[in-house]
Amino acid sequence: MNITHKFIITLIVFFLASCSSVSMDRTNDATAISATATGAYSDTGITSNNILYFAYDKSDINSEGRTKIRTLAKLINDNNLSVRVEGHCDERGTREYNLALGEKRAKTVAELLIINGVASDKIDTVSYGEEKPASPGSNERSWSQNRRALVKTF
Amino acid sequence: MLKKILLIYLVLFISNIQSQLRIEIKGGAEDPISIAIVPLEWNLDSPQDEYLHQIIKSDLESFGEFKVLPPENMLSFPSSKEEVFFKDWRMLGVDYLVIGRINVSDFSEEIITKYTIFDVAREKSIHRGSVIGPVKTLRKIGHKVSDKIYSRIQGIPGIFSTKIAYIDKPSTDDPNFNLRISDIDGYDSLSIFSSPQPLMSPSWSPDRQNIAYVSFEEGTSRIFLQQLNSAERKGVKLEEGINSSPNWSPNGDKISAVLSKSGNPDIFIYDLSKDTWKQITKHFGIDTEPDWSPNSKKILFTSNRSGSPQIYEVNVRSNRVKRLTFEGTYNARGRYLPDGKGIVFVHRKNGVFHIATQNLRTGKIRILTDTFLDESPTVSPNGNVVIYATKDGDRDTLAGITLDGKTKFVMSSIKGEAREPAWSPLID
Repeated sequence: MNITHKFIITLIVFFLASCSSVSMDRTNDATAISATATGAYSDTGITSNNILYFAYDKSDINSEGRTKIRTLAKLINDNNLSVRVEGHCDERGTREYNLALGEKRAKTVAELLIINGVASDKIDTVSYGEEKPASPGSNERSWSQNRRALVKTF
Repeated sequence: MLKKILLIYLVLFISNIQSQLRIEIKGGAEDPISIAIVPLEWNLDSPQDEYLHQIIKSDLESFGEFKVLPPENMLSFPSSKEEVFFKDWRMLGVDYLVIGRINVSDFSEEIITKYTIFDVAREKSIHRGSVIGPVKTLRKIGHKVSDKIYSRIQGIPGIFSTKIAYIDKPSTDDPNFNLRISDIDGYDSLSIFSSPQPLMSPSWSPDRQNIAYVSFEEGTSRIFLQQLNSAERKGVKLEEGINSSPNWSPNGDKISAVLSKSGNPDIFIYDLSKDTWKQITKHFGIDTEPDWSPNSKKILFTSNRSGSPQIYEVNVRSNRVKRLTFEGTYNARGRYLPDGKGIVFVHRKNGVFHIATQNLRTGKIRILTDTFLDESPTVSPNGNVVIYATKDGDRDTLAGITLDGKTKFVMSSIKGEAREPAWSPLID
């Protein structure tokens, strides 16, 4: 492409840009339709026997927690129970990252239960991330209560 | 009859506009463009009204780029070019002028809004447009006109007809979680899905017809797809462990997401037509929060593989991973800017979570917000504005900021506990 061509194209582009444009739009009154969860999961009938607490952004269990899990493992085996371990986080940090962190907490508890003799097919884990806080405030008092794993038996 | 319906509707409409406070500008651009929107002449018995003027005014002033001249300062109310005296408008310091009229279509219950945009300095019309639609779509008509004004003057698409999806957590008014869709100013909010169990991470399909999100209705996290015009829902193929963080590919045939079936959370791609999952990242740490690059070639994600959460990019074809953020010990939930040249993400500094951007060429980061616990940034499809989740006291709410950092706004019209905003694509 030579210089004259470029010049002509530039001129055309400039002419078009300075020109008045025309548009025709349409609106419609379509709106989205609502749906509702039917037969949603409910945890009534499940009892929460023990709560393990965690440090911020951590998933390891201290010696007090380990003692609690040992007692719990015995209770589960003696009564032939099944458990569901829920991992939870405080609200700090992003939601999906916290969902992953909550799973790590739940799995840590599950592993310790297995080490203490509970059969792995008796244990189910789930993470709720920061979606189900035990205490709603935005302060350390609430946060420390929310960084938890619940062992629920049924 | 139509005129009567119209009048009733307008009365309802104005009471709505007054009860819902819209975007509150904090700060703003130093030298906004001055524009006059002459209240459009109504070819009806009802008195000339300012409804469209109000909608267009609040749209254009949303991000601080425009200042709309109040009608009481106007010297005349032209509705045709012959009635325009450019000298008067120049004297008022007006850069652009919009005039027009609204007619009732003879054959159907629709109105036709015709408008012209003038460049006052050049004394020339720069755009003539018309919008046809039912009377009750007046807000949409206003947004269409605003979009056209914005794109003609700023040279990039207007975003006033786009939507925001967000999650509303249970409150005293409603015991359920809700997935909602509203206009970007929070108006016309509608719950599209309601559940007693948590909902998370809405993501729009590129054609704007579907939303992918996470629901705990079955007791664990699962990805669902919902068609907006039919409310038809479909659960995506469920795997063991976490099924979360869906993000639609730019051409709509795949969804990137997080599964923990391999023992820890990794990034996977779900093929919609084949109903199959394909693993993309493989690491014993946490990999999460995928976001597809605008050219489909890469996926942004958060990983703690280095010890703290940082943002990485994975090439979808080669699965090669590259770390992008290095400043600070918490960088997460990245989203590409529409041009792919930068990212916006959550950055922690001195224990406070901010929204920040990073230029991908220079690596330079810039903190945009200064409030506490800011998260879930979503970028407007024209790349100009970020809406994010923040706190108003203990309440979850949404706020926004222009990417130049000059204009901030809080979306006070959004009631309840709003979180996880997701900006829709441009297409209607």
